[in-house]
Amino acid sequence: MQQFTVFMDIESSRSYIDELYSSDAVKVMEALVTLKNSVIGSNRQKSSVISQGVVPRLLQLMSEESLDPNIRLEATITIGSLAKGTPENIDSLIEKGTATALVEMLKTVPLGSKLAEAALCALRSIFSHKPAPVDALPADMRLLTRLTQIAREDSQEARTSVIRVLAVWCSGTVEQEALTCAGACSAAAAMLVVPPRSVPSPSRLVPALELLAAMCFKNPNVAQVALNTRHGDKSIPELLMCLVSRDKPLVVALKAAKCLTFLQRAGALPADDSRIVFGALPCLARLCTKENTEDIRASAAEVLAYLTEVDTSLQRLAAISNHLMSSLADIVNCQSAAAKQGAFKCFASLGANDEDIRKMIIETHGLMVHVVNGLNNPDPCVSLAAVRCLHSLSRSVQQLRTTFQDHAVWKPLMQLLNDSPGPELLNVGSSTLCNLLLEFSPAKEPMLDQGAVEMLCNLTKMSDPALRLNGIWALMNMAFQAEQKVKQRILCCLGTEQMFRLLGDSDTRVIMKMLGLLRNLLSTRQHIDAIMSEYSSQVMQLVRQAVIVVLEGSYPAEVKEQALCILGNIGDGEKSKDLIMANEDVLRKLVDYLAHPESKLQEAALFVAGNLVWRGEAGAAARQQRLAELGLLRALKLLRASHHAAHLHDKVKTALAQFNEFT
Amino acid sequence: MSFENNSNGNEKEERKYSHERNKSDELQLSRTDMNMLIMNYLVTEGFKEAALKFQQEAGLQEPALCSSLDERIMIREAVQGGRIPEAIAMVNSLHPELLDNDRYLYFHLQQLQLLELIRAGRAEEALAFASATLAEAGANDANALTELERSLALLAFPDPHTSPFADLLLPSHGQKIASELNAAILKMENQEYTNPKLCSLLRMILWSQSELDKHNIKYPKMTDLANATIGQPK
Repeated sequence: MQQFTVFMDIESSRSYIDELYSSDAVKVMEALVTLKNSVIGSNRQKSSVISQGVVPRLLQLMSEESLDPNIRLEATITIGSLAKGTPENIDSLIEKGTATALVEMLKTVPLGSKLAEAALCALRSIFSHKPAPVDALPADMRLLTRLTQIAREDSQEARTSVIRVLAVWCSGTVEQEALTCAGACSAAAAMLVVPPRSVPSPSRLVPALELLAAMCFKNPNVAQVALNTRHGDKSIPELLMCLVSRDKPLVVALKAAKCLTFLQRAGALPADDSRIVFGALPCLARLCTKENTEDIRASAAEVLAYLTEVDTSLQRLAAISNHLMSSLADIVNCQSAAAKQGAFKCFASLGANDEDIRKMIIETHGLMVHVVNGLNNPDPCVSLAAVRCLHSLSRSVQQLRTTFQDHAVWKPLMQLLNDSPGPELLNVGSSTLCNLLLEFSPAKEPMLDQGAVEMLCNLTKMSDPALRLNGIWALMNMAFQAEQKVKQRILCCLGTEQMFRLLGDSDTRVIMKMLGLLRNLLSTRQHIDAIMSEYSSQVMQLVRQAVIVVLEGSYPAEVKEQALCILGNIGDGEKSKDLIMANEDVLRKLVDYLAHPESKLQEAALFVAGNLVWRGEAGAAARQQRLAELGLLRALKLLRASHHAAHLHDKVKTALAQFNEFT
Repeated sequence: MSFENNSNGNEKEERKYSHERNKSDELQLSRTDMNMLIMNYLVTEGFKEAALKFQQEAGLQEPALCSSLDERIMIREAVQGGRIPEAIAMVNSLHPELLDNDRYLYFHLQQLQLLELIRAGRAEEALAFASATLAEAGANDANALTELERSLALLAFPDPHTSPFADLLLPSHGQKIASELNAAILKMENQEYTNPKLCSLLRMILWSQSELDKHNIKYPKMTDLANATIGQPK
């Protein structure tokens, strides 16, 4: 007859713990029940009992197949209770091999039994812990098939527990594929059915939705399988569509919309599918409104950001919603990092491609202030999201000229970029900087003092071509119509050696922008002469490299055009003309290009020639003679006679007119 | 039926009002509906024998007696009888996760145990018990802490039954916790209604009345729920 004492203190607990090791099954059973009753509900008792070292014995009693199933059951239930304790309790359990023991049990325990259910509940509790012991569950097909069988056939409690475990476990491609092979999609689909006229139960639906989402995330194969999986007469997308409606509990609708989003992004559903356009998208927009809790709104914004990240039609559709912008602005204003992150990302997605939407976003009350605050936020996730938002907005030329002039967004951006940024931040941040530099005004000169040039030059040395491109493009923008001291700074910092390297880059776009940089540096007469006089031999070499290699090589026409324009700019400088004239191979190339089939290139060559022969400059006579010797005059006359070059005739005539005195 | 165009608006309202009042008496209520409500109440609250007898007498079909009805009855009896460890053991046997998931409920049960000790005059044991077991919940939950303080305050009075917190020692408190536990068990079993539907009906009446009062509308108000007395409209 069991004594029901009022309470257990530590001393008396020792006595019954000893009984756990007894050979008498009855005594063991009694001890187990007493232990169980003492730990349920009290973390203090759980900690005490764990520190007294009972866990190994409990695991033994749980796993030993020859033992009385009732003893195994009570032991498992007790373990399950310990797994609902403090994080430290669960750490101890995991460390002593509880998760592995439970998984082993599940391989042999009869389906549908109370023991199986207890084991699953315990495993589920352990897997709710962070980090979950995913290693305890190998991607073994037999085991997974067994688990998915449980998910299809067992009691409600068992099914929900196993699905929750699998949802946590499914963290990568290997797990996604393994689960699909084991039939987890159809098991999940079965849990998504809400019988008519019954109340949908979140505790049943949410785990299944989470599993489905985890499986489909960025996996086109699995997404295809999910698309075609049916339960009864409904496919998974149809089942999900039922769950995103207004009458369903909010968290269910959110998770269902998330599944549909993942299916769309993984390519199983097109962007114009009715379940996206009339299902997931409006649902997510609705969940962003003010009357919902902060958690729901933050999650909805994040999912909406992912859904609209790429497709312009979805961006436009979302932006039509008359409340979305103000709802998102309100979410940005919330306290939690998750909310700010979600809202910024959503703005970034919506404003990625469409100018009208960008305008709408900027006009949202007080947004720029939030963006600047976001850039200054100590949480790196928030600041990254704010940069993404800024990046999308910076694609608008109009905004560059107006809004961004008013708000000094570049200051916090520079700070972030100088503060050992991670690869993502570096990429998005430098792209943004690149755009901002398109409108480089005197107001932004302090940027130079913040080390913008150095940072950009460093970017050109990175192994990622996207970063190199951003770096050189930003420098090119910075040099456009800039003051001499800015150009000097760039030239000095980048160095002719690095420029040489960039001219030979594996990525053609980088070469283009490098040439563009050269062209911008070598514009404006005074600048050209100043630069050429200071750096003449290096720059000339560079120019030769640029021009000869590019013009000789099989580069696309626009690259060659750039090279010729550089030459033309140099040809404009007073003293620098001579530097070109001194290079015979460059001059020969020039003459060749006047006859090039590509009209752009003819025009560019003509530009160079025109500058070189200009009679108003000192030494024109000598130059003209030299060029005539190399066949320039003949080429010009041919051009004048050519019908295809009709649009160039004016310029040709002007060039020829320079020669009149001497022919 | 046509209404005369009367310039006196009040008269029209009066007529309209009395027309509707008569109408409510004519509303049909099904006896089956009422029987189902009563049956639901008896089953939910655990009056098994009464439920079976009522089913017989009213000629109703087999009620949906949930499997745990017997256990719930025993548990309720244990709680109301002050045999808390016994009740806890039974709950743990039926639904081992319930009290781990609902620590506040566990605290309430422990609190009842404390009150038993206080009621029996075992003050020292009560204090030891409180610090050993209840302090944990009090530390984690502000509400629990307040209730714990109220319970312990009883010890400060020579006669707890006349203290300001005497309500804790009344049987009604035990019944309240017993109902809380009962509802938790039903919820665990995924029963849709963890309270009797009669409860929902009464709440609906109270809510509707308060909404009408907010708008200063005259209507036949139910002033006494237990007797269903409908007062005269003012």
